[in-house]
Amino acid sequence: MISIAIPTGVLLQGSLDLLRRSGAVELDREEIGRKLLVEKDGLRVVLVRPADVAAYVDYGSADLGVVGKDQLWESPGPHYELVDLCFGGCDLVLAAPEASPLDDPETWPPAMRVATKYPRATAAFMERMGQTVEMVRLHGSVELAPQLGLVDAIVDLTASGRTLRENRLRVVAEVGRSTARLIANQASLKTRTEALQELVSRLRAHVS
Amino acid sequence: MRATQEAILAEMRRWGYRYVVTPSLENLDALALGLEADQRRRLFKLSDGDGSLLALVGERTVPVARLAAGKLRTAPLPLRLCYAGPVLTNDPDRFTRRREAHQVGAELIGASGSVADAEVIAMAARCLEAAGLHGYQVDVGHSGFFQGLLDGLELPPESKSGIKSLLARRDFVGLEALLEQTPLRSAEHELLLRFPALRGQADILEAAGKLVRNRRSEQALEELSRVHSLLGAYGQGETVNLDLGAIRDFDYYTGVIFEAYGQDLGSPLAQGGRYDRLLGRFGRPAAATGFMVHLDLVGEGLRRSGRAPELIRLDAAVAWSAAGLDSALRLGASLRLFGMRAVVDTQARGQASAGAWAAGLGARHLLRVEASGLVGWAPAGGRLRRLPAEQVVVRLAGGS
Repeated sequence: MISIAIPTGVLLQGSLDLLRRSGAVELDREEIGRKLLVEKDGLRVVLVRPADVAAYVDYGSADLGVVGKDQLWESPGPHYELVDLCFGGCDLVLAAPEASPLDDPETWPPAMRVATKYPRATAAFMERMGQTVEMVRLHGSVELAPQLGLVDAIVDLTASGRTLRENRLRVVAEVGRSTARLIANQASLKTRTEALQELVSRLRAHVS
Repeated sequence: MRATQEAILAEMRRWGYRYVVTPSLENLDALALGLEADQRRRLFKLSDGDGSLLALVGERTVPVARLAAGKLRTAPLPLRLCYAGPVLTNDPDRFTRRREAHQVGAELIGASGSVADAEVIAMAARCLEAAGLHGYQVDVGHSGFFQGLLDGLELPPESKSGIKSLLARRDFVGLEALLEQTPLRSAEHELLLRFPALRGQADILEAAGKLVRNRRSEQALEELSRVHSLLGAYGQGETVNLDLGAIRDFDYYTGVIFEAYGQDLGSPLAQGGRYDRLLGRFGRPAAATGFMVHLDLVGEGLRRSGRAPELIRLDAAVAWSAAGLDSALRLGASLRLFGMRAVVDTQARGQASAGAWAAGLGARHLLRVEASGLVGWAPAGGRLRRLPAEQVVVRLAGGS
């Protein structure tokens, strides 16, 4: 039996829609939310936290996983990233208070202090830019940090830009674009090739 | 784990591989010659008294190559060597994977060509079998196939290195995006995207042959075809798949590469391939191929299939009363002489506590040496008897 891990949160509905559209399995949100693990139509679906999807797939406890690219930046591993599922789009941006002098990279101070939930992606971006950075790892409400003078800027996800505006922050630079991805365990691709390829092509064909 | 390691080493010896011992601590510069940047980063490093950097070995092929090019440099080629030991790597990623892992491996140095490739692959499969694993499979690929594809593409070097690094990260979404930005629209471009799906039996070689138009890839396909048919002769046709999508360290491997997978294990049990450039870096250019088995994963596979090796049981627990110590020690020695596992108690015991002691040890038989020198023994299902020591030894050795 093929197993697929799907994430709680903003990508859950999109994941269930894709599974239904592709004819893989029809599950309602309530059922999976209550049971966390459902076996139906020859497929085992497990519901896990977004940050945990890659762990389940990398260790082979799930053959496939649906996960945001933002999580993969933070959890590199031996999985195969197979398909851009195109839903759950959002941007990882460097944002600073509206009144901040931060603008073009030329205006950035020799060392910048940045708050983020995405330390790896932030470090990779800053290295690309040749920018020295001091990172403050926060776990929520990152938007508050620059307003209180904790940091110069934040690196955070934004879908519509509303939260940024409400906190009087503006985008200084794009760090990356995230959408939902289909990932696969390396060994599953070899040991359950046919069943897995079949499901992957079906999901790929129903990406909207 | 030791039993598994022994079983694998015994199989390697049957193939004529000589066991070598390599150091666990090496000069960093020497180790670095055989490792890619990412692997180098993961080594545990320390400094020597004179300030030079040392590292704990993260794999043992490089130390074996060093040995073949150093101490064994006058030994005639081909050399067949095997090794076992711990390897240490620091994994800064999100999982705290175990830092110390155990590997057993073999290297065939100084032999090029498909016959040598097939020998090593067949032996790897037999080693897994010897360890007690069933239902494994071996995927055989060729690093030249991908290199040929890449050489054949008319792209600037930056794009080619981008393709390599995306493939190394197995990021096919990124790869597709990168290829879309290039003007390429060839069969080879399609092939790059279909990489992980290029698996199967001999027929995929023909299918792939129609899609590639470069000498290097074609040559890789020819070599794979030869190796595949040789593996059939070894009786391993059933366990082998051809896998043109095998993605491994592109700069290290120079020919046929392979990986073995178990059922329900998330990563490969064994990995290997041809690395013809490594020995030259140590001053003795020679073709080479080899593999290593991840012992910890083999153990996990055995446990999952309910075939974990049993703990070794004691044949006899020898208890004694105050005057029987000397006889007990002699009895223990005789039992061992007959190849049995025997423990002689370190203190005198009464009848009742001796029973509990022997049960605690998990011994098959309790032998109690009495002051008279006679041995009290209850054969399985039988009642307690008193016999002279020699008779007990003979009967136990006879299997009762």
